[in-house]
Amino acid sequence: MMLGGLGAAIRKDLRLLARDRVGLVFLAVAPVIVITVAGFSLASLYGASARGTSPYELPFCDEDGGRIGHALTRALGDEPAVRLRAVATRAEARDLIRTHHAGLALVVPAGTSEALADGTPARLVVYTDPVKYLEVASLRVLVQELRHRVERGARDRAAAGLTKTRAHALVVRRRFERAADHLRRERARVAAALDSARDDAEARIARARRRAAHALDVAVAAVAAEREAAVRSRLAAELAPLQRYFAELSARQRDFTAWLAAVREKAGRLADRMPPPPTMPEPPPQVAALASDDPSTLAARLLPPAAPITLPPAPEIDLPAPPALPDLDLPAFPEPPRAVLPGSLGIDESSVTGAPPKLNTFDQNVPGFSITFLLLGMLLGVSLGLLDERDWGTLERLRAMPMPFTSTLVAKLLARFLVGVAQMIALFAIGRLAFGISLGPQPIALLLPTIGIVFAGTAFGLVVAAIARTREAVLPVGSIVIVTMAAVGGCWWPIDLEPPWMRQIALALPTTWAMTAFNDLMIRRQPLAAAIRPTAVLLAHGLVYLVVGLTLFRRQNA
Amino acid sequence: MAEPLIVVEDVVKAYGARTALDRVCFSVHGGMVTGLLGPNGAGKSTTLSIIATLLVPDRGSVTVAGHRLPAEARPARRIIGLVPQRLALYPTLTATENLEFFSRMQGLRGREARAAVERVLALVALDGRAHEPVGQFSGGMRRRLNLACGILHRPRVVLLDEPTAGVDPQSRERIFEAVETLARDGAAVLYSTHYMEEAQRLCAQVVLLDDGHVVATGTPAELVAQTGMRPRVELRTAHPLPAGWLDAAPVARLVEHEGTAITLEVTHDPDVASVLLAVVRAGGDVVEMSVHHPDLADAFFVLTGRALRDEDGARE
Repeated sequence: MMLGGLGAAIRKDLRLLARDRVGLVFLAVAPVIVITVAGFSLASLYGASARGTSPYELPFCDEDGGRIGHALTRALGDEPAVRLRAVATRAEARDLIRTHHAGLALVVPAGTSEALADGTPARLVVYTDPVKYLEVASLRVLVQELRHRVERGARDRAAAGLTKTRAHALVVRRRFERAADHLRRERARVAAALDSARDDAEARIARARRRAAHALDVAVAAVAAEREAAVRSRLAAELAPLQRYFAELSARQRDFTAWLAAVREKAGRLADRMPPPPTMPEPPPQVAALASDDPSTLAARLLPPAAPITLPPAPEIDLPAPPALPDLDLPAFPEPPRAVLPGSLGIDESSVTGAPPKLNTFDQNVPGFSITFLLLGMLLGVSLGLLDERDWGTLERLRAMPMPFTSTLVAKLLARFLVGVAQMIALFAIGRLAFGISLGPQPIALLLPTIGIVFAGTAFGLVVAAIARTREAVLPVGSIVIVTMAAVGGCWWPIDLEPPWMRQIALALPTTWAMTAFNDLMIRRQPLAAAIRPTAVLLAHGLVYLVVGLTLFRRQNA
Repeated sequence: MAEPLIVVEDVVKAYGARTALDRVCFSVHGGMVTGLLGPNGAGKSTTLSIIATLLVPDRGSVTVAGHRLPAEARPARRIIGLVPQRLALYPTLTATENLEFFSRMQGLRGREARAAVERVLALVALDGRAHEPVGQFSGGMRRRLNLACGILHRPRVVLLDEPTAGVDPQSRERIFEAVETLARDGAAVLYSTHYMEEAQRLCAQVVLLDDGHVVATGTPAELVAQTGMRPRVELRTAHPLPAGWLDAAPVARLVEHEGTAITLEVTHDPDVASVLLAVVRAGGDVVEMSVHHPDLADAFFVLTGRALRDEDGARE
């Protein structure tokens, strides 16, 4: 019964809404109108973009007519944030400022390009209307950026010229060094060849000397050998009788010794009494040597040593020294100086949050005003819906029915919840198709904060219905609260425009968390995980509102 | 007689310092219409709201078909059909859509719900306008549809709070017929009204309620009989009648005689003819005559000392 009753109650509320044309217009058409108006009106808060662009008119007077003027004209022409309006004179530019047609005008004075080319400073002239603060600030930044871009271009060109010249000098230097190296190598080669020729001649002379000395030695040795052989032959002939005598003498001495021994033996005991035999005189040793030595030794001993033959020294050949080569005194080719221009200080801007540098204003306005109208719709749908039921008497009848009253309320809230989710989806779809809003890397993730804020808004409608018991009370009380929540929560403008203390207060509002999630997903292109915490906070808000609303409402209707 | 389906015993209900109901006691049986009769502010709606489980009494007990309230309110609601005094309809929905929704809320489903819708549409004679938005209905048609929404689930106990307020005679008659049908089908119908005629027409039993007290309970005839009042004849003659003219009609008692205006009481209705004959015999010409039978309003007046309605006889 409970589910059937819930379904019937939801169908009933959807039917009631479907028959309420004013309500439908409020839910669908009004937000689109407001989003469109706000989107185009607040485009300047984010800078111009393809969608919702409202470019500033920029009077531009090119008195110079030179390169600088052309460069600025080209750059400004490519800039979507401005619509360039060329004027002939600076007076005309000033008039456009005075008549409020523009907030800032730019003049390129005559001679600017020439002065810069000569290296002398030049100045651009800017006329402003300080009252148009945002426009002036925006265009001033743009002009500064362009000026910097032009300067950087000139500096880059000069640096490129210097770099090219230095590169050419380096090439010439390398060529010279290569030629010098070649020359040095050739000189060294010639010097080496001369030294080598002299050394070769000296070696040949030495070898000739050695061969001559050897031949002389051989000849002297041959003569000495012949002479020694002749002496040996003569000595052998001369000493032969002597050698025979000594041989006979030796034999006789051996025989006497043997005889003596025999005698001593025969003498027996008397041998000791025998007198010693007489001693024969010994031949002189020199004679004995003559008898015993071979002729060669005697010849060597007797022959006087051959006198060394000393050839007269070979004449020294005095080779002429090789001619001295002149030294190469090549001048050093200095490395060309590295010309460095003072660097330009640029700014590398990178979005660390994932947000593109240029925002589509509708990425902020579509979720912001969708939430605003969602909450207003919830106020009308839930609070006034319950008051309608009270006025129609159906609330009392429902309380007397078996379906629990809480379930009846929950069914009404569920119906409004579904309508709220559908409303948000429809507004985002319109935003996508009409204004090209970003749906982030995971469009499905947008459902998380959508469900969270719709739940919180639905439950908040119940709280308002419980507190404000008349139609006259609901509208002021609910409207004030919702408008405040939307404004402070960053639904109408970026929350960063608010002072820090207000941003702290805003943390207590569900709108702040919803916008945080939508900004993270749509503008900062974060993944689904970025929406989990804000959604949890939104659901917690919704839960608190629901408990408070149900408690108050039941107490008041008990 | 069977056990009563509604038993109210010593119920006390106060709104701040004001006591709306003071020891109210009565019971309602099935198969009959019981009228809860009393002037505005007597406590009729408070009594019905307590029985319908919308209010909790400060003291006393209420039992509906054996279910004690408020502890057993949930099962009691299944057998109670409430037709509130204020119209309780969705104006932008059609009659069928209203009935379908309330049938679901009563726990009916599918074919049973559709059959119930057709049945009650026929009962209140709205089947020809079933698919028109309620906002386009006349007051009487809305009242009939309001009744139909309360009896979709064939309740054993039907609580009707001023169901004919602001309706045309045709619609009132349709409503009466529907109420009588419900009673014939066995429902215990508690009919709250301050229209004496309705109570007299429909109710087998009447509970007279005044300033939060039950003044009397009984059938309409019993309540009238309690007053001891008799039919009253009011005459206006062309000329003043001579003295002693009433001697010819001893069944009548002179209540008031002032000039040509005469007020008399008779015991029975046929006695009126005797009175007229006496006037004629006395030479009088009757210019205007009315007979007033004693009714519940008279009973209420006698019992409470004040009229049932501020503007007696006026219809909203």
